[in-house]
Amino acid sequence: MYNDEVMDRYQNPVKNGKMENFDVKTDGASTTCGDKIILYIKTDGKKIEDMKWQGEGCILSIVSTDLFCENAIGKEIKDLKEQDDLAFVESFPVKISPGRINCVMLPLRTFRRGTKEK
Amino acid sequence: MISSYGKKEDFPIFKKKVNGKSIVYLDSTATTQKPKQVLDAIVNYYEGANANVHRSVYKLADEATEMYENSRTNVGRFIGADSNEIVFTRNTTESLNLLSFTIGESLKRGDRILITSMEHHSNILPWMRLEERGIKLDYAGLDGEGHLDIEDMKSKLKKDTKIVSVTHQSNVLGTINPIQEIGKLAKDNGSTFIIDAAQSVPHMPFRVREEYDFVAFSGHKMLGPMGIGVLYGKYHLLEEMPPFNRGGEMIKEVDFHRAVFEDPPIKFEAGTPNVEGAVGLSAAIDYLKKIGMEDVRRHEKYLTSMTLKNLDGMKNVTYYGPRDVEERGGVIAFNVRDASNLKKNLENKNVKVDRVYHSHDIATFLDDRNVYVRSGYHCAEPLMRTLNLSGTARASFYVYNGDDDVKAFISSLSEI
Repeated sequence: MYNDEVMDRYQNPVKNGKMENFDVKTDGASTTCGDKIILYIKTDGKKIEDMKWQGEGCILSIVSTDLFCENAIGKEIKDLKEQDDLAFVESFPVKISPGRINCVMLPLRTFRRGTKEK
Repeated sequence: MISSYGKKEDFPIFKKKVNGKSIVYLDSTATTQKPKQVLDAIVNYYEGANANVHRSVYKLADEATEMYENSRTNVGRFIGADSNEIVFTRNTTESLNLLSFTIGESLKRGDRILITSMEHHSNILPWMRLEERGIKLDYAGLDGEGHLDIEDMKSKLKKDTKIVSVTHQSNVLGTINPIQEIGKLAKDNGSTFIIDAAQSVPHMPFRVREEYDFVAFSGHKMLGPMGIGVLYGKYHLLEEMPPFNRGGEMIKEVDFHRAVFEDPPIKFEAGTPNVEGAVGLSAAIDYLKKIGMEDVRRHEKYLTSMTLKNLDGMKNVTYYGPRDVEERGGVIAFNVRDASNLKKNLENKNVKVDRVYHSHDIATFLDDRNVYVRSGYHCAEPLMRTLNLSGTARASFYVYNGDDDVKAFISSLSEI
């Protein structure tokens, strides 16, 4: 449906699953299309030690969430939160049409909401 | 194609090429494309008769008022109503909100409103707002194929049910509801009967009947411009209702602390109306009449039946709503299962077989092939909850669609 990189990750996500010893748990939903994710974040207060997700959604939101969790490890919360929306969408492995930007943005928006106090 | 009218040549948008190829427009349930005759009527109005209506005494204003009122007469004739029973609104949503803020306001704590589980949000939210005042909203359920469960409707029709408001045709399932029968039930119960006809007036012959108190529909779903809608109401009911919006045009006399309102329908048309919209809608009705509404319906049945037959042969596609095209309109909601997972499952036992593609992914896939379908909840979230679905893709037809569109749709879908 999309390219192999996207489809492989959709069918075999690497960060999908529940985390027991999380520091932050936050959920996000795209109400117009039914995408729902939970992010589990393990952090030393500054950097991300690990991140996992659970949920349902379209291919773009699932793949974006899985990539986001994997790429976040070792990064600072502040840098992740403050990254540019457009650059984030453009870094996705396939070109995104305007109508699908919300799908790709779901993990970043969810992360920002969950780490507002951090 | 059904006749010389309804041909793609009449619709300038179909000259458009995307990536060098024609577009396959299958989203007429959301909005329809506009024929040149409608676009010309709007331009002619602005070039030859534009002035504010119902106000000034000079010739141009008379001409504008005449065009506006002739449009109202044309709309009335199209559904068998008198012109003074036709209120111009922005759309179906506004027509139904008008009713909520007028007859809805007269309901008392404990009164009930009966709708169905297949309503569009526009026939849910205007009634839901009244729940804050202790008015109960009941939903009649559906059977397994997506027909309205009439027995359930009967059981929910109580003596306190003051309003029954039902969609004539579901914008998701395509189900055509037996509105004459429902209207009779409502009338026998002494309830006001309202029809959301947004998906029926554009697609089939429709005449108002004694049981129908109010009928709402939109111009843009029947080849007309956006921003013009219709509320039909029995004249004596419109007369008894308070106004909705207040301001210019809708008054006979204004004193410092007192006003006398105009008679219906003008009473409900505060402010400068959408004259170009009314003129465009009237031209759209002329266009549809040249085809004939029986033929519009016949054509859609033909396209729907051809599509369903093809979908029946595709193992990874599920579609919703009645199987019999006599009981449904030209709107097909569907989902596609990820067939590649079947293979993966054989290789890797822990992959779920029955993964359904999200409807947005299906729509994006088809978009890459210039096939335009809707995806998501279709403004009918309670229906999606009833069906336990997180959305569907949806293809829908109108007069300008032909065998070529069905073929393009099916062949693109089979590539998933």
